[in-house]
Amino acid sequence: MAGRRAALKAIDWAAFSERVPSEQRAMFNALKTRSDALSARLASLPEKPPAIDWAYYKTAVAKAGLVDDFQKKFSALKVPEPVDTQTAKVDAQEKEAAKTSAEYVQASKARIAQYEQELQKLRSMIPFEQMTYDDLHEAFPETKLDKEKYPYWPHKPIADL
Amino acid sequence: QHRRCELFLFPPFCNTLNGLFLTIYRLLHAKRTFHASQQCSAPLPPLPEKPGQVRYGLIPEEFFQFLYPKTGVTGPYMLGTGLLLYLLSKEIYVINHETVAGASILAVLIYVIKKYGATVAAFADKLNEEKIASALAVKNDAIKDLETAIEQEKKEQWRVEGRSYLFDAKRNNIAMLLEANYRERLLTVYNEVKKRLDYQVAMQHLKRQKEQDHMIQWVEKNVVQSITPQQQKESIAKCIIDLKALSKSAHATA
Repeated sequence: MAGRRAALKAIDWAAFSERVPSEQRAMFNALKTRSDALSARLASLPEKPPAIDWAYYKTAVAKAGLVDDFQKKFSALKVPEPVDTQTAKVDAQEKEAAKTSAEYVQASKARIAQYEQELQKLRSMIPFEQMTYDDLHEAFPETKLDKEKYPYWPHKPIADL
Repeated sequence: QHRRCELFLFPPFCNTLNGLFLTIYRLLHAKRTFHASQQCSAPLPPLPEKPGQVRYGLIPEEFFQFLYPKTGVTGPYMLGTGLLLYLLSKEIYVINHETVAGASILAVLIYVIKKYGATVAAFADKLNEEKIASALAVKNDAIKDLETAIEQEKKEQWRVEGRSYLFDAKRNNIAMLLEANYRERLLTVYNEVKKRLDYQVAMQHLKRQKEQDHMIQWVEKNVVQSITPQQQKESIAKCIIDLKALSKSAHATA
């Protein structure tokens, strides 16, 4: 993260909330509360601390050179920025998620194609009034009686009648 | 050919009249061919709703239409009457006990069919309807389930598209945390420096104060000490004289 202020992206919590499925609602709420707490803390801290009035202290403090010394050291002091260790992990997670979600979408599309196919088959079926038993066994293979496994009538286990 | 061999298959005790009618039927109904006789991949036409029309429950309508051009409306009836009379008079059909039995059975049968035929047919139709309705319900449920499943899948895909929100939120959180920490550090530095400077100033003030107080005390003590008893008596006498003078002047004015 270069620079002190990485721009905070505005997050549309409402839209985010819409996309959360009900099983993950608790996790979403936890994330939101944490986010809100952090932003409240950030807002309560001033961006820059107020400037120290060196002129007043120079006149007020009797010890010679103390104030000058402090001033020199103070302006020379560089507060280290906190090092960002987690953004890389988040980016890695995002890549992982992109990959798994692409796979999921693939699988989902395959499932949809399968459903569409079956739907097409069901929709284009001839009405039952015009079917013969052969047509029925073609349309619904599970209705076919297995004459090899059960050679005697009724060609299915008695419990299934 | 099927028609010829079917005739020979009939048991020889069967009435030849029956055989005659069946051959006539087969001649007239040649148009609905037996579909399994040749390879045909076209789908079957739907089965007809009503059976072939018959008159008097026995004789197909096509027979009357067949004779209509030559003999008109009464033709088949004349043929029938003539045939009947021929059979009876030549005793080809002999009237015996069976005739009476047959006639009574026929009468009862016709009565029962006329009276209850419609209701029985409706009942059978209802059974069939129920079977078909349940099958149809199964099919419709399957269709509905598939449609909802498709919608669910689409919704899940839409949900997946929103995953960027999560990672943006996480990065935001990290950034906010870092920024807050940095600001806190700056603030701490400022506070500490200010505390030390203020301490120096406060120390100086305190020392000043103490010195002043001490000096005042010392001066007072010395002054009190320097008042000798002689001076005290003199000052008291002077005070009394002054008081008298004051009281005199006060008397005078009052």
